[in-house]
Amino acid sequence: MKPAPFSYERPRDLNSALSMLAASNGSAKIIAGGQSLGPMLNLRLVQPELIVDISGLAELKQAGLSGGELVLGALVTHADIEDGRTADVTRGAMRGVAANIAYRAVRNRGTIGGSLSHADPAADWVSALAALGARVTLRSLAGARSMAIEAFVVGALESALQTGEIVEAIHVPARAVSAHWGYAKSCRKTGEFAHAIGAILVDPAAASARVVIGAIDTAPIVVTDAAELFGGRIAADYKQRFDIRVADTLLMKAGIDDVAQRHIHVSVLKRAVLEAAA
Amino acid sequence: MNTIALHVNRRAVEVSAEPRTSLADFVRDKLDLTGTHLGCEHGVCGACTVLLDGVPARSCITYAVACEGADVTTIEGLDEDEVTTELRAAFTREHALQCGYCTPGMLVSARDLVLRLPDADERRIRVGLSGNLCRCTGYVGIVRAVQSVIEARRARNIAPQTDGGRTSLGPAGSGRATSDRSEPQPARQALAAASDRAAAGTIPDFTPATVLDQRFTLPHPPAKVFAMFDDIAGIAACLPGVSLTVPPKPERIEGVIRVRLGPIAASFEGAARVERDPATLSGCIVGIGTDQRSHSATQGEIRYRLVPLEGGTATAVELSIGYTLTGMLAQVGRPGLVRDLARRLVAEFAGNLDRHMSGAPSGQAAPAELSFWSLASDVLRARLARVLGRVFTGKGRAE
Repeated sequence: MKPAPFSYERPRDLNSALSMLAASNGSAKIIAGGQSLGPMLNLRLVQPELIVDISGLAELKQAGLSGGELVLGALVTHADIEDGRTADVTRGAMRGVAANIAYRAVRNRGTIGGSLSHADPAADWVSALAALGARVTLRSLAGARSMAIEAFVVGALESALQTGEIVEAIHVPARAVSAHWGYAKSCRKTGEFAHAIGAILVDPAAASARVVIGAIDTAPIVVTDAAELFGGRIAADYKQRFDIRVADTLLMKAGIDDVAQRHIHVSVLKRAVLEAAA
Repeated sequence: MNTIALHVNRRAVEVSAEPRTSLADFVRDKLDLTGTHLGCEHGVCGACTVLLDGVPARSCITYAVACEGADVTTIEGLDEDEVTTELRAAFTREHALQCGYCTPGMLVSARDLVLRLPDADERRIRVGLSGNLCRCTGYVGIVRAVQSVIEARRARNIAPQTDGGRTSLGPAGSGRATSDRSEPQPARQALAAASDRAAAGTIPDFTPATVLDQRFTLPHPPAKVFAMFDDIAGIAACLPGVSLTVPPKPERIEGVIRVRLGPIAASFEGAARVERDPATLSGCIVGIGTDQRSHSATQGEIRYRLVPLEGGTATAVELSIGYTLTGMLAQVGRPGLVRDLARRLVAEFAGNLDRHMSGAPSGQAAPAELSFWSLASDVLRARLARVLGRVFTGKGRAE
């Protein structure tokens, strides 16, 4: 065994989990699939006094459609999405992202809620769900609140979660029939942390686009109205109009000083644009 | 200790183990099933891959206690398994192993690919095996072996099972616990406080491994800002997470910096020497510190230079923050995350400094800061701590 000693609780339901969290006053960590927390525990980077295991909570394993959007409980795994065990409103976009997260043995336990809570900038869902316009519901004993993914991730490993609060569900809006999707990432080795992520949801018919430049050491760059990246106007020829100089400027503004790093990010974003237009 | 009841290789077992026991250690040490191998122990190498409720999972980052009621199958439980039998023959034929260390995990992952992949596409097999590292074979024989088994089975009209046979949602192995067996556990034993402080006058210069340059402006004249920098207690109060342990002297400070980066927390205790040069409106603080909990040490320095702006009514503060981290925290190896944290801390520092000089109370008073920084879920901070910790304080102590 490698972690420092910790106490372990397996609450019966969500409310008892929230009570345990509230009572611990910040000295507890939630574990679901443990695919991010496990390595950190083993490396003793994290040494909580108490681990609250929510992986058995049936309330968080629900997935279904509600008012045209997809609602995924926090415990839905990457493999659940990859295999199509959950409904899909993104016409395959989420399945494609899920299938390329880490390795199958990790996807069988790693959860979408856990990945978001961990807020690693290199994680796929942080960028992909921001591009898809998803929202996250957080719950504490005081109640629930909801926010856009791009507001939820505030920095490297920093989320908007407050003490006593957990991610309850992810709400994904339906992808319009006319909307194109592109997602690309660069990993030094398949399945490893991404060094650059590009995601784009572009709807030429509606002249709208959301663009995300992710895996940049801090919260991703999320451009909700991305016309500026396409010469001020989004139309069917967006592939030709994609302006790498604007992307480069966005990266510079985000503090990426290294020219080579910016080049990698811009190239990966361009791949995502080409994939969307293909 | 918790009593953990689950099924291993179709046999019911009930054994007590500490909650921190990984499933891999559980099957190896408690059940003598040593076919499951441990390599990296953080989910990367794949040697420990076992079947959990029928699908592959990393037993090194899955805790046995979280598998209450689950079905675990290790390599020993696959002796009679049809697919694994075919794979063993193919591995032998294709020379798909040499030392054999990766082979148990490799067979578990290969079996999953044989079940799920529609055809023997080499690229998909290679991607599917990317989570299992082999340092002997170069993978060529392994890929051939997996290809041959898939081809043979599809030729026999055995259809793929794209979901690997899983039908329920949620983490594999979860949700089968029948009751809450956990008992309250004694909290971790308190760690001894660090007693050895850096001896006076022994804080050396060093060459930082990482240097961050930061610049911010303050709407105050340079002389006032420079005087402020002489008020070490005041400066320390503006630094997020810093507390002084002994009254500061003009040339030396001792204290603690607590840093949090997501779930990572560290508390560096140490000492720093202070130098300043009124002629050039510049100075430096050079410190060393250690975080006892993570057995990490850091050296850090802050060099500052004040530049008059707008005819001397405002000041640009040019900060150069350098640090070197050694020990466990240095192995995290994601320097970009530390830079992001450092950037945020410096921004907070600048804001506090401005408020302090304007006579307003510091944005984050000590109690708020404590709860913000607090404890166990704070690993990340450690990283920051090592960045700035050695810079601003010096040596570490466990929280």
